[in-house]
Amino acid sequence: MKKNIILSFILVMSLAGCKKSFLEIPSKTSLSTAVFFKSESDFQQAINGAYAPLRALYSGNNGAWAMGEQRSDNTTYKYNPNDRGSIQSEYIKDFTDDANSPVSANKYFTDYSIIARANQILDPIDGVDFNVTSKNNIKGQAYFLRAFAYFDLVQYFGQVPIHLKPVTTLNETSAPLSTVETIYNQIISDAKQAATLLPNKAAQEAGRATSGAAKTLLGNVYIVLKRWAEAETILKEVTGYSLLSDYNNVFSPSQKNNSESIFEVQFKEGNEGLASNFFYTFLVQPISAAEITAVTGIPEVPRTIQGFNLPTPDIIAAYEPNDKRKDASIGYLTAGGVTYPYIKKYAHAHANTNNTNDNWPVYRYAEVLLFLAEAANEQNRPGDALTYLNMVRANPRTGLAPSIAAGQAAVRDAILAERRVELAFENKRWLDLVRTGNADQVMKAFGTRFKANPQSYYFPAGITPSPSSYTNIRLLFPLPASEAALSPYF
Amino acid sequence: MEIFTFKNLFRKVMLNYLIGICATACFFLISEPLMAQQQPITVSGKVTSSTGEVLPGVSIVVKGSQTTASSDGDGNYKIAVPNSNSVLVFSFVGFKAAEIQVGNRTVVNAKLTEQTQSLDDVVVVAYGNTTQRSSTGALQTVNGKELQDIPAAQVTQKLQGKLAGVQINQASGKPGLGLQVRIRGGASISTGNAPLYVVDGFPIAGDISNINPDEIENITVLKDAASTSLYGSRAAFGVVVVTTKTAKSGQTNISANVYTGTQQVPKKGRPDMMNGTEWAQFKKEYYEDLGQPVPAALQNPSQYGEGVDWYDAMLRSAPITNYSVSINTNKENFSNAVVAGYFKQDGVLLNSNYERFSVRVNSVFKLNEKLKLGLNLAPTHTVNNSPSTDGMFFGGGGLINNALLTPPILNYQNPDGSYPVSVTTPGITSFPTPNWVRSIQDITNKSKDNRILSNGYLEYEPIPKLVLKSSINVDFAQSLFHSFQPSTASRGFASAPSALSANLFDSNYQYLSWLSENTIGYSKQIKDHNFDILGGFTKQKYRSDYSTISGSNFPDDRIETISAALIKNNSTSDIQEWSLVSFLAKFNYSYKGKYLLAASIRRDGSSRFGVDKKWGNFPSVSAGWVVSEESFLQNFKPISFLKIRGSYGITGNNNLGNYQQYASVASAVNSPFGSTTASGIAVNSLGNTQLSWETTKQLDLGVDLAILNNRINFTYDYYTKKTSNLLFSLSVPRESGFSSFTGNVGEIKFWGHEFALTTNNLVGNFKWNTNFNIAFSDNKVLALSSLSNDLYVSDGTARTITRVGERIGQFWGLIQDGVYKDQADFNNSPKSVNSQVGTIKFRDLNGDGVIKYGDAEGDRTVIGNPFPKFVFGFTNSFAYKNFDLSIVASGSYGNDIARMMDEGTTNLDGVFNVLKEVKDRWRSPQNPGAGKYGKTTASTGDDRAQFHTRFVQDGSYLTIKNIALGYSLPVEKVKWLKSVRVFTSVQQAFVFTNYDGINPEIGTDLNGNAPSSLKQGLDYSAYPVPRTFTFGLNVNLK
Repeated sequence: MKKNIILSFILVMSLAGCKKSFLEIPSKTSLSTAVFFKSESDFQQAINGAYAPLRALYSGNNGAWAMGEQRSDNTTYKYNPNDRGSIQSEYIKDFTDDANSPVSANKYFTDYSIIARANQILDPIDGVDFNVTSKNNIKGQAYFLRAFAYFDLVQYFGQVPIHLKPVTTLNETSAPLSTVETIYNQIISDAKQAATLLPNKAAQEAGRATSGAAKTLLGNVYIVLKRWAEAETILKEVTGYSLLSDYNNVFSPSQKNNSESIFEVQFKEGNEGLASNFFYTFLVQPISAAEITAVTGIPEVPRTIQGFNLPTPDIIAAYEPNDKRKDASIGYLTAGGVTYPYIKKYAHAHANTNNTNDNWPVYRYAEVLLFLAEAANEQNRPGDALTYLNMVRANPRTGLAPSIAAGQAAVRDAILAERRVELAFENKRWLDLVRTGNADQVMKAFGTRFKANPQSYYFPAGITPSPSSYTNIRLLFPLPASEAALSPYF
Repeated sequence: MEIFTFKNLFRKVMLNYLIGICATACFFLISEPLMAQQQPITVSGKVTSSTGEVLPGVSIVVKGSQTTASSDGDGNYKIAVPNSNSVLVFSFVGFKAAEIQVGNRTVVNAKLTEQTQSLDDVVVVAYGNTTQRSSTGALQTVNGKELQDIPAAQVTQKLQGKLAGVQINQASGKPGLGLQVRIRGGASISTGNAPLYVVDGFPIAGDISNINPDEIENITVLKDAASTSLYGSRAAFGVVVVTTKTAKSGQTNISANVYTGTQQVPKKGRPDMMNGTEWAQFKKEYYEDLGQPVPAALQNPSQYGEGVDWYDAMLRSAPITNYSVSINTNKENFSNAVVAGYFKQDGVLLNSNYERFSVRVNSVFKLNEKLKLGLNLAPTHTVNNSPSTDGMFFGGGGLINNALLTPPILNYQNPDGSYPVSVTTPGITSFPTPNWVRSIQDITNKSKDNRILSNGYLEYEPIPKLVLKSSINVDFAQSLFHSFQPSTASRGFASAPSALSANLFDSNYQYLSWLSENTIGYSKQIKDHNFDILGGFTKQKYRSDYSTISGSNFPDDRIETISAALIKNNSTSDIQEWSLVSFLAKFNYSYKGKYLLAASIRRDGSSRFGVDKKWGNFPSVSAGWVVSEESFLQNFKPISFLKIRGSYGITGNNNLGNYQQYASVASAVNSPFGSTTASGIAVNSLGNTQLSWETTKQLDLGVDLAILNNRINFTYDYYTKKTSNLLFSLSVPRESGFSSFTGNVGEIKFWGHEFALTTNNLVGNFKWNTNFNIAFSDNKVLALSSLSNDLYVSDGTARTITRVGERIGQFWGLIQDGVYKDQADFNNSPKSVNSQVGTIKFRDLNGDGVIKYGDAEGDRTVIGNPFPKFVFGFTNSFAYKNFDLSIVASGSYGNDIARMMDEGTTNLDGVFNVLKEVKDRWRSPQNPGAGKYGKTTASTGDDRAQFHTRFVQDGSYLTIKNIALGYSLPVEKVKWLKSVRVFTSVQQAFVFTNYDGINPEIGTDLNGNAPSSLKQGLDYSAYPVPRTFTFGLNVNLK
């Protein structure tokens, strides 16, 4: 018997020992690149994943609103003396931010993760054989997203490195800074590719990039570069869109990707981690649960940290009397017994706190019309410009009379003023100030008003803004310090 | 055959735990041969010590039989033996066991020699045994017996202060939590630095925190490469070899070890927070300085008196209890040791506790002269409730921190004795403030763990000294974690308890690790030459499965299951696997026991590395010269032993996550389009096919010296080790789309000196032994990555730098230069963008005229070193007649601690309770305070959110870890008793330190967890380590 036991013991030992590839254990919970990017479905999943960083780019405490809107004279923060723990976007507002800002870092990092994901698709896709229509659609979306991300980077940071291939080794992780001109050439090239490869809105799944979106992006690029004729040409190709008759509906989650919408960052309410929470990020705090419920109508918890992106008295004053868009854009609520304005564009009914269904409007047809107005005016055709301007301004949904501005300079001012209110709180204002050369003058004036009367800008009594705020109106943001520490190129 | 009750018991245990692990082995239980009977002889005699003292109570056993006797009060004994070949075994605590053959005598007197630091005791090392005399490596052994009086669940806690060059820190007093063990400053820059634990030859996957310390026979710490390199790729941070109890030859006994006690948190060391009046005054001044009206509640601060001590309200006196029973039986062909234990510790913080049920069965069956089968089985069951006490108030837990920060003018209890859910009071609290005293009791954080640690082996000796051994080792564990926060509790400020925020988190974790080992060894003596060789092949595989479910919004606190959650989060699951294949060989040679030579090599293949880099070799060589055996020292009486030894070898570290070599594709990176969700993926890591071991080359030179007939034993070791190809998750520019790259980069050098001195100061009636050890260590970074010579690591506000040419993990921050006293000072000083008159002032180190916070271009510098210059331990043992006393001390010198919880306790926003000293802050140019704290109005952030010198303190300490007093009852007259000893002890008796925190052994990260290598020395607040008073009893039955 003992022999048998010994034999079985040895048998067990040898069974344990004879399995091949004992040392090759790939993960059972995630795949690796070695087996991925082989089929249409792989690329389809990859392009879906490439949209995902857009949500982080636009939402949260470091979202695009901080640099695009709150940096400008449209919105500000509520100074909360009881919590100085989340003040980074205040620095952006006060022009006291530096290269260590997590807000500008978030933009930089997130744009590059979109770029990397687009590169992961564009690099191998032509080596894999599948349906051409589907392939073109995927490639078009990837080119669009890459152009979109570089355009965001170049507008906010200026010179940045360019990556057009997936990074696979340590040495490839950094690249030299490219000139602004090179970057714009790349953006234009990618946007043109996207405009050619993508289907139009009617043929595309709602929410994805379309040829119209690519053309609007390209038009925006030309506007920034002041290449007015090219802008006008491409923007005129943006067709198949129309303004909604009710301005409220433009932002309504029940009207996602409506006929005015050209490109929106897609969010989805629920427990999938895809929901937005703009209303809560922009909510003035401290505020009690009951005071929030008064707005949302659902059970809430009190919020006590900070209040961001509150409409300033300046933007409130910028609406003309009787402009119906004012009430659609700005609401009022009570926090701690005091009345404050809040952004209404992203306040819609939802089931659970901090979990909303609001998309973020990136491009909509009203802006295309205003771009066209600007392009015409800058080519010294103020009459044509006024026509485009009034398509937006004198639309019945605003309740306003047509603009009667005359002459190129007056029309220019009218277009900018129109952009300010029509596109309020859509992260357009700061870049408008920068590209029109108004930023320094407008923001210094704002700073003077702000410092003269901090309490009307939601500061508590006894607290003054930092002496160094609004002294240096920087048009670009510094490249993140953490990045500079690692890259040999800057 | 059912003559022996142990066998029944044993069978039961075996049936319960053993079937299914190795069923075949059970057959051996049946075959137990009868013993031959012959004519008995009666032998008597007297037992004395080597100095001639009479020894009562000595156990005398006829080897290989059940016959036992013990010496009486005069040292006399009488015993019946079967024949003249019989051997008597004399054993007595504190003395070496003696074996004497009866021969033709009827009177056999025995002289026992005292057990000092014996050079010839067997020491278990990697794949074999050695003795201190013949070892060529740096190792140290502690006997389980030395540790039995220390009331602790963790064997590592008992080892504090005992081992030279082994730093053991109890960073948190949480019941059931393992300690941080670090051998020879062992550190990597991104992976763990815990040593490898080997239990009965099995390198286990986790640590030994749930092993009942009473199961442990001894622990050997292997420090140099010669001792550790046989564990190859996992030995870089040293190896702790744990040997569990087996029944000794000729021994059959039952013993019990029981203690019970109570734990308390001493007053000294608690944070010095403001009392009610002081805080109300502080808050009153806050409103005055802002120019705002003072709320009515704060207008008369003195009305609050001392106020409420929230910290104290979280504490309690808590009981601790341990029961262990061991049953040893040894027959000719079968030996068996069973240790059953029950340990329960309530924590000194409310609602925390730890409970352990454990059984260990170690059995050896001798099938015949050549074949031996061994089985060890150790099931444990632990239950642990651990409220979210540790970490920072914003770190996701931190109830202790929260309690400290709560305004002391609020009460956690209503006048009617009930506990309110929340103490939010407008005008006093700035955030919704849950009642922490209620939260700590209402929140459940319970884990239930089961683990079975088992080994089975077959040893075959076909010809003498040729040993073939096969073993299978299995470590199986399951951990169920259940966390529920009801609507009456919350973990953080600003989150009011509500049904909406009630939440649940459940996880299920289980792993199975198996190891198969086959070795062949042979030893041979040819005249004066001794050879000893061993070769082997081993395979190990590990797999864990982890899954979680979570949800929130519970309408009813009474139902704590996911089904009741109105919001159910996506559940998750994860599988982790690794495997290791190894070949090993070792060779020992000695000539006349005078010249010693050893060499070993292990070749490891690991699943964790790149295709091209799977295999690594880990060789070592060592040599020793026993000088005292040389003729020129033989007659030199003062020196009883002198050995000079040296070793050099390579060990590895594969302690990084699995799958790091692959560029992985994360799934479920989804995006919605309109109302539909499209499933997506993203490449989320950079692969590295070249990923390989981290290697450590270590040189060790040592001396062992014993003088005055072994009364003074001294050991010295110098070591230097160079760790290269450091496994590191290197930060890469985010422009790549990735944040890190896992690779082998850089090189760090560690070196140190270790001294251990054991002296028998007094012998005779009054005995006094001393054991002192001290270890100096240091490190230097020789190289880092190709991207940068500086490596910054942050944890919350704290930052460390690891810079080429300097030490690893140094505190990296600003230097405080007082506050901006007045406008003139402000105008003339460098400023940051946030500076105002009355805010904190930092030093402009780079001379650019402004204060900047960046790492590379800012004004930060090294402001502290978390690593001690030396650590030491000091144990004194005294014995007089039946009394024994031991005092264990340990300490550390030269390390700094960053008291990061000051970020809350010195917050100038007026929202928290603060340290008393915040009273002396800047209020106006006329009232500038002590220059340590700035004003409460505006720009208070820099004061606490920039890591600077005010956080850093000297962390040196000396702790009297344990004082134990025992008394052995005179039980010689009682037939069935071998010995009874009662003892009382104080654990964590006194702490001497200049550190202003609760515990100088601290080291917790933001979330209250054990920190990684480069985040050492941070105090983000942790569970206090209590002082424990116990009373205990050791009973040995015959």
